[in-house]
Amino acid sequence: MRTFEDDPSLEDLLSPEQRERLERLLSDLCTEPVRLTEQKSEGSVPVEFNLETIGWLSGGSRDERRAAANLIGFIMMFVAKYRLAANLHHDTTEASYAELQRQNEALKASEARYRELSEQLQDKVDEQVRVIQKNQQELFESARLRSVGQLAAGVAHEINNPIGFISSNLRVARDYLEDLREMVPASPNNQELLDDFRDLLTESMDGTSRVAGIVSDLKTFSSIDQADYSLCRINELLKSAVHLVQTEYNHSLQISERLAQLPAVTGHPSRLSQTFFNVLDNAAQALRDTDQEPAQGRILVQSRLEGDTIQVVIQDNGCGISEADRGRVFDAFFTTRPVGSGTGLGLTVARDTLRAHKGNVQIDSRPGTGTRVTLTIPMQGAQES
Amino acid sequence: MPDFDADDNKLTLKVVFYGPALSGKTTNLMQLHSLLNPQRKGELMVLETRDDRTLFFDMLPIGLRGNSGLDLRLKLYTVPGQVQHDSTRKAVLSRADGVVFVADSQPSQQDNNATAFGNLEENLEKVGLDIDTLPMVVQFNKRDIPGVVDEQDLQTRWASTPWAPLVMASALQGKGVIDTFRLLLDRLYTVINGEYDLEMLHSIDRHTFIEGLSANYGERHAHL
Ligand SMILES: Nc1nc2c(ncn2[C@@H]2O[C@H](COP(=O)(O)OP(=O)(O)OP(=O)(O)O)[C@@H](O)[C@H]2O)c(=O)[nH]1
Ligand SMILES: [Mg+2]
Repeated sequence: MRTFEDDPSLEDLLSPEQRERLERLLSDLCTEPVRLTEQKSEGSVPVEFNLETIGWLSGGSRDERRAAANLIGFIMMFVAKYRLAANLHHDTTEASYAELQRQNEALKASEARYRELSEQLQDKVDEQVRVIQKNQQELFESARLRSVGQLAAGVAHEINNPIGFISSNLRVARDYLEDLREMVPASPNNQELLDDFRDLLTESMDGTSRVAGIVSDLKTFSSIDQADYSLCRINELLKSAVHLVQTEYNHSLQISERLAQLPAVTGHPSRLSQTFFNVLDNAAQALRDTDQEPAQGRILVQSRLEGDTIQVVIQDNGCGISEADRGRVFDAFFTTRPVGSGTGLGLTVARDTLRAHKGNVQIDSRPGTGTRVTLTIPMQGAQES
Repeated sequence: MPDFDADDNKLTLKVVFYGPALSGKTTNLMQLHSLLNPQRKGELMVLETRDDRTLFFDMLPIGLRGNSGLDLRLKLYTVPGQVQHDSTRKAVLSRADGVVFVADSQPSQQDNNATAFGNLEENLEKVGLDIDTLPMVVQFNKRDIPGVVDEQDLQTRWASTPWAPLVMASALQGKGVIDTFRLLLDRLYTVINGEYDLEMLHSIDRHTFIEGLSANYGERHAHL
């Protein structure tokens, strides 16, 4: 690439017309016409300009030739000055223009970026508003769940005493019944009455022990006596949750348990219980919502040790979750059920709880076939928060 | 960047006189033009000045022929020092092989010196030259003016830079101008000889290079 400072050739300095005119003017001064050429010829003298031979001059007398060559060199200095200045001006203008264009491009790019940013900003604001709303709802829900839990725990505590003396009284009453049997005349009527009486007492005792069981499950469930994070026995929590779901569904569910030996882990017992309950409750609902015979519905509850994590798998063969709904199952308040049958917070609470334990929730589901929810709880995971 | 034309066996080097406005760059070149008597010397081209100020640049070509027939050219340029001519400065600076930085010794001009030096660093980077490896000499001019900054102070301040020692000059009186130029030739030779093997291929050794290009009409002008 030529730059402004390259040594100019004769062609660069003079156009053919200008060269002709110069030759004419010089010829007027000389006895014979002179010619200025780029090539050397017989008898020609060099025309020097700034250490450079830019051409050759022929014609005229010897002295005239030399004088004319010097004159041309002198004139060329002014021509070259002009050329240099013009070329430099051209170079710098072009460089400035290129720079200007580059800046303009940069400006356009940054403008586009800001426009995009401002659009993203609106999206972000919208998103934040959604997050805040969701958090508010969750806060509200968890406060509600906590107060329900506390109420349940209080009731359980209150019932514990009377149920204790009712069941021990019933046992004593049954002993008294055997004493009575000795005393009353052994007529068939009397025997029948006493047998009936004993059956009543036995049923009542069964009933009280069931009440005692529910009370103890409620206590486990709400973990009223426990610090927030403590050593949890996952299997115990699972069993209580299963019992409570059964109670809710009048013991109509077919739930099988396959629980492995597990070490105790640090966790938040009532939140874990709540999670197990929610997932089981979803499974039970899925069985109810399915088209198949109710008798076919099954829930399988498994726990197992996988390396240093505990896995709880709750699986049902109910209606499953449709493709479209699957992405939204963790949305707070998302529910496929009719309005009024639940808040839909179940899986959100489950996910948040598992996250607080540094674990996760995985859902595999096929519509019409069933759903498997896998809860992974690392043994070192729980954090105090 | 030296410009070597193998067909013509011609090597053209470019030296640029840089510095703040009115520091004496053009005066340096005019003095070199009248003091130097190198093998070959062209016309001093002073491109349009207005009230003494350089508008585009000044240029003086000088030359030397090696025994091998090498046509060695040195083109000496000045840049316009005034702030507004920055794009011209950048264009003239591009492809330079050596730089003479002409600073003004007057205390009032020290800020301008610093600004101009910063501008030189910036423009060198823009035209892709490395200030740390480019042959360069720093001259403090106008030593004839009373009350100039003390030489010892200046030398101490610059002692740890690649450009020590500084050359003191009074371009107006023609003093220190050739010293400056010879120091530059010395530094330039190291780099150019490394690249073109002037000594082996063209039998131009350091002495020939410096003397051939800086021969002058009498020692009386040379020193301050
Ligand atoms: N006293 C004194 N004056 C000097 C000296 N060198 C230059 N000057 C004067 O300073 C003024 C500017 O000098 P120039 O050589 O034109 O300065 P410049 O660096 O080419 O200036 P620009 O082209 O504007 O960048 C002139 O009036 C010179 O006579 C010096 O050594 N001593
Ligand atoms: Mg000047």
